Amino acid sequence: MIFGLLLAGFTVLTILTGNHFWHEYQQTLSSCRQNPATPSCSDIEGSFGPSYGAILRLVYVTSIGVPLIFGLFLGAPLFSREFEEGTNKLVWTQSVSRRKWLTTKIVWILVFAALYGLAISLLVSWWGRTTNALDHSRFDTGQFDVQGIMPFAYSVFFTAIGFTVSAWFRKTMVALAVTLVLFIAFQASIGQWLRPHYMAAISITSPMGPDDLQSKVPVGAWLLDRGILNKNGKEIGDIFPAAPLQCQQIIQQQTPQGNGLAIRVKTFPGAGDPIDACLNKAGFHQIAKYQPSYRYWDFQRIEAGIYFGASIILISAAYWFVLKRDA
Amino acid sequence: MPEGSVCALVGPNGAGKSTLLKLLTGLSSKSSGESTVLGETPKQNEDFLENIGYLAQEIPLYKSLNSNDHIAMGKHLNKRWDDAFIRKRLTDLSIPLGRPVGKLSGGQRAQVALALALAKKPKLLLLDEPVAALDPLARHDFLSSLSQAVADGGLSVIMSSHLLADLERISDHVIVLAAGRTQLCDNIEDVLKSHRLLVGPRKDSITDETGYSVIHETHTAKQSTLLVRLTSKTKLPTHWQQQDPNIEEIILAYMGQAKQGEVE
Repeated sequence: MIFGLLLAGFTVLTILTGNHFWHEYQQTLSSCRQNPATPSCSDIEGSFGPSYGAILRLVYVTSIGVPLIFGLFLGAPLFSREFEEGTNKLVWTQSVSRRKWLTTKIVWILVFAALYGLAISLLVSWWGRTTNALDHSRFDTGQFDVQGIMPFAYSVFFTAIGFTVSAWFRKTMVALAVTLVLFIAFQASIGQWLRPHYMAAISITSPMGPDDLQSKVPVGAWLLDRGILNKNGKEIGDIFPAAPLQCQQIIQQQTPQGNGLAIRVKTFPGAGDPIDACLNKAGFHQIAKYQPSYRYWDFQRIEAGIYFGASIILISAAYWFVLKRDA
Repeated sequence: MPEGSVCALVGPNGAGKSTLLKLLTGLSSKSSGESTVLGETPKQNEDFLENIGYLAQEIPLYKSLNSNDHIAMGKHLNKRWDDAFIRKRLTDLSIPLGRPVGKLSGGQRAQVALALALAKKPKLLLLDEPVAALDPLARHDFLSSLSQAVADGGLSVIMSSHLLADLERISDHVIVLAAGRTQLCDNIEDVLKSHRLLVGPRKDSITDETGYSVIHETHTAKQSTLLVRLTSKTKLPTHWQQQDPNIEEIILAYMGQAKQGEVE
């Protein structure tokens, strides 16, 4: 089967290159500890050469792509093809009940998707050691959903979306289109709207000043937000200069509506200090919100739980669509 | 419908023949009314399905699988399965078992589908316009195969079609469906005995309706022709010339009556 061959190929690729890059990384690290002046020490990633970026993209795209492929090519045609060809009328008048037929189909396809997804999860997580170490993070969008439990959960979920949509519309083309649209919708929105809120974010604040608060956020954390709060605790976004305003002007323009997004004031070098002192007196301070890296696995588990729960709902819906409606 | 008979289910397009057959298999569920098939309500459970065979209108088969695969499917999914029967039958018909069924001709596909339905040894076989898309020779072969299977015993058939001449050959029972209702349901011999074609001088209103009920009437300038069903043994008025209609004429009359009923 094509899927088997592709997986085998992918496995070979990830194992070989994963090993290679990890060793390179270790070597570069140790040589940099001994001799920090080596030019490659300030840009270890660059020292791996262009193949690193290319393979990184390939691995990550595969990880995201596999659930989509399952949804489109395993799930979406699963029932709709039977209806379009009329073969449901053939197979449902043999001596097996519709329920048994449906259960067998769903179980086998989900087992396949789950095992495949599990393999991808393991391979990409293992390959990603190097990248995670370099970026000191695996929590950011773009890294979170390609490794850990996510490929496994996504494979099951999008396969379920595919066949549920297939059972509802009974037309393959429609099922394909809807699955694709749902995939894009989920990928675009989960990371941005839902994931940041699984646990309450940690906030840190500091007075206005030349230091970027971002540097105080722990290594490896997922930075959700950084901005400036006025004295009422309302976030007013960044302050950049359109023209060098006096601090009093800023406060006056900002306070009536409290929305301050229209104001862009930047601190000029040297001119920063007086403005900062004035802003501080008026109660402005910087804020950053993040999720610390030690919550990574909690988040993986929560999101996987959401997807598995949703899959169960989808499967129940598929049962309803196939069993309760006329042939 | 009596056991062991071959019943023709006829009617115009849209009358509900396919729907009726699907209801009888349990593929569709009823919104009202009752149906009893082989003593039970049709349901898609294994005991019921074991006793029926069904062939849907478009002769659905898995196009990329070959006949051997379909035989394996039937063997796997059915409790009763006569493997030797179906293999012999298909080879006798010169159908290559290794070729994907999508590449077979229409007639060959119909034969494969019929063989699959027969091989599971059903008590009742439900066929939905199985010969509609076949050329005359293929049609003849199909109906011969079907009569042979019936002659072998133990099988009742309900077959829908609008090709009345074909059905006459192998059916002994007829159901006429039109305008969503059963217009006629009877043994063919009895139908032939109980209907007459009455021809006589033109009469615009038929008043002497004793002993018969008019199914369909046609008038020309000088002549009236009535197709009637005899309701009692009283002799018919002698001014009518009596003829024996064939089954096709009778069926058409019932379908026409339904149409008239619709218009009114």
